[in-house]
Amino acid sequence: MKIGQLCIKISGRDAGKKCVVLTGVEKNNLVLVDGETRRRKCNIAHLEPLSKVLPFKENASHKEVVDLFKKELKITIKEKKSKPKKERPKRTRKQKVKPEPKKPKKEKKAKQKTASAEIKKKPKESVEKAPKPKK
Amino acid sequence: MVQGSRKSRTLRRAHRRTPGGKTVLCFKRRNPNSAKCSRCGAKLSGIPRKIPLKFKNIPKTKRNPARPYGGNLCSKCTRQVLIEKARSEEE
Repeated sequence: MKIGQLCIKISGRDAGKKCVVLTGVEKNNLVLVDGETRRRKCNIAHLEPLSKVLPFKENASHKEVVDLFKKELKITIKEKKSKPKKERPKRTRKQKVKPEPKKPKKEKKAKQKTASAEIKKKPKESVEKAPKPKK
Repeated sequence: MVQGSRKSRTLRRAHRRTPGGKTVLCFKRRNPNSAKCSRCGAKLSGIPRKIPLKFKNIPKTKRNPARPYGGNLCSKCTRQVLIEKARSEEE
């Protein structure tokens, strides 16, 4: 496999797409490919070499590959536009509001008792009835 | 009387336990045969054996292999077809 060798991928989800070899054969028979396929390492056994060899440098960038594909092969490579990541709204725990300390009931009762005692102690005001006007 | 269609074995029989505790006989559709390669006839892997009603509810990525001819040709045949296609294009 030469650098710049045009190939067709035979296996995987990119099968049937054209690509270019960008590196020499590494260990485990791997080469870097780019083109219509995704830019990734690929086993030689999964490539079917074609007769064309394109003028590429080793580890050429994706942009160079796209331009040469358009010039030489007239293949436009659509690039996936990834959406900008949105920050997820962070969940915040609801903070427990501490209830105000209740006043002890005994005091209340005691107060009530004292109040009732005072009422009892107070003599009833005698309301003098006004004499009825005689006709 | 038993319904006539229930006497045949076209439908699969399944025992189900009801919430009341009884076991009841249910009649269900049988699963279809496994998908086969249209070129060599080998069984295709990666395609679940489900009736269309349940096949519909499976996620799309689990219904078929994602490669071209996935679900129609086996992996060996797809390679051969693609190689033949590439070589014929060059000629």
